[in-house]
Order: sequence, then C-alpha cells, then structure tokens
Amino acid sequence: MQSRFSFLRRWEGLLLILLVFVVVYNALSTPGYLTTANWINLFQLSIEKIIVALIMTFIIINAEIDLSVASVMGLSACTMGFLYMGGMPMEWAALMGLLAGVAAGLFNSFWIGVVGLPSLVVTLSGLIGYRGLAYLLVEDRSIGNFPAWFNRLGQQPLIGPFPLAMIVFFVLLVFAIIILQYSGFGRYVYVIGNSKDVARYAGVRVQRTKMILFVASSTVAALAGLLYAARLGAVRGDIATGFELDIITMVLLGGVSIFGGSGSLWGVLLSVLIILNLRNGMGLANLSGHVQTGVIGVLLILSVLAPNLASSVRASWNRHRARTLEAGKTG
Amino acid sequence: MFKQSLKGLSLLLIFSVLLAACAPAVAPAPQAAAPEAAATEAPAEAPAAEGEGVPMVLMPKFLGILVFDQAYQGALEAHNEIGNPAQLQFLGPTPENSVAGQIEILTNATTQGVKAIMISNNAGDQIAPAAKAAREAGMTVVTWDSPIPSAEGEQVFVAQVDFDETGTVMADMARSILGEDGGKFAVLSASPDAANQNAWIAALQRVLEQPEYANLELLEIVYGNDQSEDSYNQALALVDKYPDMELIMAPTTVGIAAAAKAMQDEGLCDQVKVSGLGLPAEMLEFTLNGCAPEFALWSFVDLGYLAYHVAYKLATGELQGVEGETFEAGRMGSYTIEKDPTREAGLRVLMGPFTVYDASNVEAAAQ
Repeated sequence: MQSRFSFLRRWEGLLLILLVFVVVYNALSTPGYLTTANWINLFQLSIEKIIVALIMTFIIINAEIDLSVASVMGLSACTMGFLYMGGMPMEWAALMGLLAGVAAGLFNSFWIGVVGLPSLVVTLSGLIGYRGLAYLLVEDRSIGNFPAWFNRLGQQPLIGPFPLAMIVFFVLLVFAIIILQYSGFGRYVYVIGNSKDVARYAGVRVQRTKMILFVASSTVAALAGLLYAARLGAVRGDIATGFELDIITMVLLGGVSIFGGSGSLWGVLLSVLIILNLRNGMGLANLSGHVQTGVIGVLLILSVLAPNLASSVRASWNRHRARTLEAGKTG
Repeated sequence: MFKQSLKGLSLLLIFSVLLAACAPAVAPAPQAAAPEAAATEAPAEAPAAEGEGVPMVLMPKFLGILVFDQAYQGALEAHNEIGNPAQLQFLGPTPENSVAGQIEILTNATTQGVKAIMISNNAGDQIAPAAKAAREAGMTVVTWDSPIPSAEGEQVFVAQVDFDETGTVMADMARSILGEDGGKFAVLSASPDAANQNAWIAALQRVLEQPEYANLELLEIVYGNDQSEDSYNQALALVDKYPDMELIMAPTTVGIAAAAKAMQDEGLCDQVKVSGLGLPAEMLEFTLNGCAPEFALWSFVDLGYLAYHVAYKLATGELQGVEGETFEAGRMGSYTIEKDPTREAGLRVLMGPFTVYDASNVEAAAQ
C-alpha cells in the first residue's frame, strides 16, 4: 500500500511539472493566453466533458467503464428539445431530460449490478442505443429558439465572470473530492476496484455501490448534456458524439489505472488542466485539429505506458538483482 | 537511486513530447515573416486600424476536402491581390470533431484578435452563440457555402448559386448540345426525395415552358438514388425505352458520371450525350472523348475569392452589411448584398453564375 501511494505522489508531481511547463510556454508564446476571457473560454469549450470526467473517475477507479456517457448527454438534450418543441415549458422539458438520464442510468445499473454483465458490454450497447433514441426524437432537425433565460444560463456569466456550467463544475469537484478521497463510500469504491471478491468477503455491498455509481454517472452526464444544449442554443441528434473518448482520456492521463483501484481526483484535475491548456495553446498557435489530436494521443499513450513500463522494468531489475545475489551466495 | 533515474527518464519523455508539440507552432512563422509581428501586436491594439492589415481566417466544414482547399486558393488569391499585410489562416476541424471544433476555432479566433472569419458552417444553429460572441468582440463574421440557418451572428452569407439559375443553366446546356432544332432528353436524378435536385428539376421545368426553349422535350425523370450502379442501369434503361432520345441530363455528380460511363461502355456516345452537374476531375475523360461535351458546377476557387472580398470589405468598413449595398469584387466584377430568399432572415451575396465546363477548360479545373 505504501509503495502504491508513493507512486501516485510521483505521477501527480509529474503532471504538475507538465502543467507548469504548458502554462509557462503558452504564456510566453501566445499573446492573449493570460486573459480572464481566454481562461473562461478554455474551460467553457470543454466544460461538459470535464464535468463528466469527475464521475468517470469514480467509475474507472471502481474497475468499471461507462462508454454511454456521451450518448446519455445526447439523449437528455434531445429529450428536452423534443418536449420543448412539443409545447412543454422549458423548465419541465429540462427536468424530463434529466430524468431521461436517470432512467438510462437505472437501466445500465440493472444489467451491471443485478444481472452482472460486464459494464463494457452494457454501456457499449448504451452508447449505440441511447444515441439511436436521441436520433428517433429529433431526426435530422435542429431544435433551437430556446427561451432567452435558458440560453443566457449557457452563454452568459452568472456570478462574476463565471458562467453556470463552470460553477457547477467547481461545486461538483469539491463534492467529488470529499466523497472519493475522504469518505467511507469513497474507500469502498477503491476497495472494490482493487478486488471485487475481497471487498465482498469484507462485507462491502459491491452490487449497491456499483449501481449508485452508474446511476450517478448517467445523471451527471444528462446534466452536462443540458448545459451543452444551453451553451450551443440548439440541439441536434449528433450532439456530443464521441465525447466519451475525450472524457476517458482525461481520467487515464490523470493516473487512474484502467484496471481500477488506484488514482485520484487530484491527478484527474491536473490532467484536465493540462489537456485544456494544451488544446488552448495549440489552438491559439493555429495548429490543425489533426496535430492536436495527435499530440493528445501521444500523451495518452505515454501516460498509460510509462507507469506500466516503469513497474515492469523495476520488477525485472529486482529479479536480476535477486539472481546475482543468489549466484554470489552459491559461488 | 534507480527510482530517481526512472523519474528523470519519464520527465525526459514528457518534455520531448511537449517539444514535438511546440515545434510546429514555431514553424509557420518563417512562412510569412511579417505576420509574426502582426500577430503579436494585434490583440493589444483592439480595432483594426487602416494600414496594419486585417488578420483573417477561412474555416471549412472540416479539413481534407478538395473543394475547400480550392476555396482557400481563391481566398489566398484575393488576399494577395488586395495586399492585406496581415495573415490569412486556413483553419478547420477534423471530420469527427466538426461541430465542437468549429466552435473552438471561432472562439479562439476572438482571443487571437482575428478581425474577420469566413465560415462554411457545419454546426447548424449551434455555432450561433459563438458567432454572436465573436461579433460582440468586433469580429466580422461571413459564411460561405453553408450559412447559419437562423442568420444569428452572421453578417452576410456568400451563396454559390441560385436554385432558379440551376434550371436555366441546364436548359442552356441542353440547347447548346442538341443544337438549334432542339430534341428530346430525359433527366436522371438522385433520389425521389432529394430536396436540392427536386428544386433544380422544378426550376428546369419552369424554364422549359418559356417559348425560346420550346423545342426541348423532357421525356421522363428517373432516379438513380445517387448510387453508381443504379444510375448506370437507369441510363441504359432510358436508351432502350426512348430510341429517339439524344441527351441525358443528370443534376447530380454521381448520376452524370455513371450515365457518361454507361454511354461510353455501350459505344452510344454519338447518339446520346450526357450533361448536368459534375466534378471536373470525374468528368475529364468523358468531356474530352465527347460523351459529356458540357457540364456545369460552381467554382469553389471563385467562392473563396468572393467570400474574402466580402469579409475584408466588411472588416475595413468599406461595406456596412446592409441590404442593397453594391461592391466590386476584383476580377469577378460587381455584386449586391440582398435579402436571402432561402431563409427567414439573413443577407446574402449570390455568386453565380455556374462555371460551364467543356473540352477547353475541363483539364485545368480537374487538377
């Protein structure tokens, strides 16, 4: 346990150095980077993804995966748009959009928690199925002309220079850190992620914990979908398509192990800041979208490979040392 | 000890990635020496003063599409002709990230102090809030090829062609191919419910009612569903059905190429010609061997050229962006800003006319 946590400290230290490097480089090379407006933009352009990344951290530490989040974002936004177009007041339509997300979460958690299917399979069908539902609702239309108050929530500052979605993110961040890092529930999430069987024998309610997480995941995703609809001021069937991969990237780069059991929200926060600043810097430097995807991709490859490479090198080094010691003894 | 060196190694790796990421950022600068300085100064001095140039961005729906690259050529041509000392950037998202990517580029352009952006919109109304924010920051926003449906946040849409004109162009090509005494022809369209094609065919039918086109007889409209094989078979079926048919008119790039291939394969090019809307690169051989002596399409080079003129003139205040304004767009002549009849709101500049391609100009366009 001790060595696991010291490794985490090192990974987060590395991320911090990387973040400082990116920020300093951007500040020196890109005029306009260090303005409040740009920092708000930098968050706003990816705000829905980083909100979902918070709950995705719980899921992956729990040794599960939720591939359906982006489709749930689409489903909630499209449900809202569909009902609003049908004459329902916006408040109610938004609530129904959120409930659509809760329903999707209950559906996922039934198959994962009760039936016991792998989350990869269940949420992969969710990825396709919820997106399909979203398309059924809005077809090829673009639904817009939302009430002014709704668009204002998505596009204008609410408190000081901060728009609603940013406030939601920071509030959720504080809650998530308290729950995951400092509460009993959070400890269960880690324990289950480390070993489901050990957790079960130790009396942890594995099934219930997983079900809570998947309902929470879809609910947060639905909220993010509504925020996205408000930011764009219009809804289409393809809204938020492909976001799940960006979200999982953020979590993995944050040092969360894809096998579960290790990682922290601090690491994910740092990785989110790195990715956002890197994207922003590359965008302001007019690098093409292909180059941006490539750079983030290389970063992810390294982030997944480097820790594993490190531990396997260390293991073989230890073996080698043990052998030479043994050889010394016998010889 | 070992842990230390491992840590150093990972650090080195990360930094090398970063350096790799940063390198291209520096590279574009020497490409045009002046813009580096211009770009650094631009955000500091807010309004685009005369003489220091207008930094501009041309944004396609996404990267990697030939016709958008052609539009950039045209915009660059206008950029150099006008002699704008600032930089013209060609920035687009990747195909799988088109909507979010377009919004990101537009938002970043505001931060960079870009003064005018030309958008081929692929995000529908979803880009409108970002476009409005850009307008509030003093940026000129012009769309081309594809407008913002609600027209919110957009000053002017530079439209390629008019639906009605499509009918005239097709009727004129038919008359030119069939000669003075006219003749019988059929239309090979895409699918029965394709909105563009149906509007174009309706326009063609209206034109055919006019007395000067009286000797052109439209036999039948068939549908190849924009599938090469369907279109190929439909073209051959038309030949069997109408022995006196002299022309197949296909207002779709798939249909026209398939029909020309069918006539060429069956050795029918002397009796039945093919025309319509096609891509020069696909139609090159059929035009040169006489199977499809004439076809039409709008020029994306010209569209980029015209969009640049509109955006530049709006950014410098030469145009205000109101209905009825007239301006000169370099080699393309005079244009007028008008109300866009295809949308509920919004202004447009209608480029037109089509470029009609024949053996004399198809090779150059096919490059």
